Amino acid sequence: MDYILSIVTLACINMIAVLGLSIFTGFTGLFSFGHAAFVGVGAYTSAVLTYYYPVPFPLALAAGAAAAGAVSLVIGVPTLRAKLRSDYFAIAILGFGEALRVILENLGITNGARGLPGIDDHTTLPVVLLCLAGGVVVARNFLRSRWGVACVAVREDPVAAELSGVRIFRTRLLSLVVSAVFCGLSGGLLAHFLSFIQPVMFTLTQSTQLLAAVIAGGMGSITGPLIASFVFIALPEALRVAQMWRLVAYGLLLVLIMVYRPQGLMGYRELSSLWGKRAGPSAGRRP
Amino acid sequence: MFLQTVITGLSIGGIYALMAVGYSLVFSVLNFSNFAHGAVIMLGAYVGLALATKLNLGFGLVLAGSVAGAGIIAVLNEKLAYSSLRGRKAPSLYLMISAMGCAVFLENLVYATIGSRFYAFPEFFGRQVVTLWGSSVSLLDGGAFLFALLAIFGLHLFIRRTRTGIAIRAGVCDMTMCSLMGVDLNRLIAVVFLLAGGFAGVAGVFLGVKYLVYPTMGWVTNKAYIAAVIGGLGSLPGALAGGLILGMVETFVSTYVSSVLRDVFSFTLLIAFLVWRPNGLMGIDSEDKV
Amino acid sequence: MNSPAAPLFSVRGLTKHFDGIKAVDSLSFDVAEGSITGIIGPNGAGKTTVFNIVTGLYRPTAGSVLFRGESITGLRPDRVVRRGIARTFQNIRLFNRRSCLDNVMTPLFQRERCSFLGSLLGTPSTRRMERELRERAVGLLQVLGLERFASTQADNLPYGFQRKLEIARALATEPSLLLLDEPAAGMNPEETRSLADLIAEVRERFQVTILLIEHHMDLVMNICSPIVVMNFGALLARGTPDEVRADPAVVAAYLGKGRGRR
Repeated sequence: MDYILSIVTLACINMIAVLGLSIFTGFTGLFSFGHAAFVGVGAYTSAVLTYYYPVPFPLALAAGAAAAGAVSLVIGVPTLRAKLRSDYFAIAILGFGEALRVILENLGITNGARGLPGIDDHTTLPVVLLCLAGGVVVARNFLRSRWGVACVAVREDPVAAELSGVRIFRTRLLSLVVSAVFCGLSGGLLAHFLSFIQPVMFTLTQSTQLLAAVIAGGMGSITGPLIASFVFIALPEALRVAQMWRLVAYGLLLVLIMVYRPQGLMGYRELSSLWGKRAGPSAGRRP
Repeated sequence: MFLQTVITGLSIGGIYALMAVGYSLVFSVLNFSNFAHGAVIMLGAYVGLALATKLNLGFGLVLAGSVAGAGIIAVLNEKLAYSSLRGRKAPSLYLMISAMGCAVFLENLVYATIGSRFYAFPEFFGRQVVTLWGSSVSLLDGGAFLFALLAIFGLHLFIRRTRTGIAIRAGVCDMTMCSLMGVDLNRLIAVVFLLAGGFAGVAGVFLGVKYLVYPTMGWVTNKAYIAAVIGGLGSLPGALAGGLILGMVETFVSTYVSSVLRDVFSFTLLIAFLVWRPNGLMGIDSEDKV
Repeated sequence: MNSPAAPLFSVRGLTKHFDGIKAVDSLSFDVAEGSITGIIGPNGAGKTTVFNIVTGLYRPTAGSVLFRGESITGLRPDRVVRRGIARTFQNIRLFNRRSCLDNVMTPLFQRERCSFLGSLLGTPSTRRMERELRERAVGLLQVLGLERFASTQADNLPYGFQRKLEIARALATEPSLLLLDEPAAGMNPEETRSLADLIAEVRERFQVTILLIEHHMDLVMNICSPIVVMNFGALLARGTPDEVRADPAVVAAYLGKGRGRR
């Protein structure tokens, strides 16, 4: 039972990060190979606060999330302002993530590459579920808000968005910061669940896993990536599949999705819409 | 001290350049960053290793076998993971994600089947050292550097002089036009990947001989990618220049500033180039075709 | 609706070079408040380039764009929109995977001041504002005869309705000058006639000045006055439909005499 509980907890922690990345990738249309670094920033910030200082857990979580958001500005401001090619942006953020990992590996306060052991295990399943539920509500509200609507407009057509009064740079930056905050929160929870963190837990491989969940789950969907992320973590864990075989599967999955179904499992739809009737007359497309 | 640093920098830069060529070749024709290149280099090293240890072949044959093996792997990689995306004119980002998927897949497949053990090549060159203007150069480093220069120069000649090379250059300019003119695009792209894979094989053997062979050895190619960006993705002279520059800069940073900061510095350089000079030092203009 | 002393909008000596080609060549003209001004000219005359410069997508090589007496030259597109200029596109650019309602809601939202935290928490006041915007969006769809498509995904709309949806979205920015780039492209004569009525109705109802590019001569001659004729990026003629029709230079340009068409 404990084993199952811990699998579910781990999967839900991961879902919070995926939720964040899906705002950025699925709804704003920018791809990132570096979001694990924001999970890392959240994990280390909150862990350092509870480990060395008597900071209460909720406050440490909030600080971790805030730190991740702040760090995302460092890479977001120059790259998003320059309106890079979409693949160059993904690579720039990859480079940023790797640079951040090297820094974490060499700081004294993070105990370097050996990692930080003995972090208090404050994270319990109810805490995680509360954060996840809150995260889903906030994400949904965000996407319905002025800013979320602007994000989707930028994804669909940046030029038309700008001529609808959307500020592209600000919108993309906000989306990045919001997604980083989610990742930071997920990192804080992770650190206080595993009670041990290490820089290698936040590398390109983890970023690729997050992205795989978002892409497989479906662009422009919240429920799709959440389901995918749960399945990705829980299934191999439950079947006790070795980590490397999981990664073999993630890699293969990414290729297969790109080749056969780039919109993913639930592309541009939500779970609820599968039951609801397909609204509106489906008139013929233009010639 | 200074001269020694320059020589070390150049010898590292030569290997970077050898790897960067693969990125640039593919980018010049298909306009995307082929992150599976690192995994192909790694597989090339394993092929070479198998030939050297199981069949006890000499260095020349090991190199040739590795070139052939990695070349075939690269072509297969293109056929399976990219060709259908290419066919439906998917954004270059999708190709890149597919490439990333390939890298993760291949690397972990090796990890899961062959294992994470570090393997060493037999000592082909011993530890001989040549003294050059008072600084010492290992025979391996010097040889690798010269070989890298020769191979890149050879590739340059191939692309400038031969029919296939001219077709590749035409493909760089305009793929649609090229196919209208009766060039078989699939064959052309297969040749490009064969060449890129061949270079991956060479790089894999040199890396493996200089260091060791292990599943994640392809990560060094992150550096090679940075070199390609500095030189200008899609440009062969750029890949060479970028590799040498990055090798020098890294060696100087780690000698005179701090070896810890070296990688941070390289990644910062990557971001700075992407933001302010995405065409690199010698690159050609390329617009996002989304 | 008589033209006042100062024009609502004007371009002065507008020039745009692309690699040595003069797409727009020291072009100057005024648009009077309340008018429906037409821009015509052969393909490649630089008409759309003018729109792209005005809306801030291109930076002009020389010259200026004046709106309400102030220069808006080189302003970022979203700032231009905030000043009160909206446009549609020759090759329709909708938010394809969103519903028609969401397409119109997007610009409406951008004009509102919202509290970020309130939006995240979904406070009653944000909900109220959302409802209000939704009603306004439905209202706009109604004017353009799109209300039955409110929840249809934009790229599933029939072609003619997509053009109308673009107009609805442009109107949602509450412009005082509306730029229409070939609104009747791809429409049959009957659809074109009803579009002409619609454009006239839009002008009345929203008190908006209209500047439109069009190749359908019937439409232009019926509803536009004055008409600006461009050729090779430069102003060829300007006047009422009758004046333009009688202008020998215009006739020559359209019949391929003189410098001919490219």
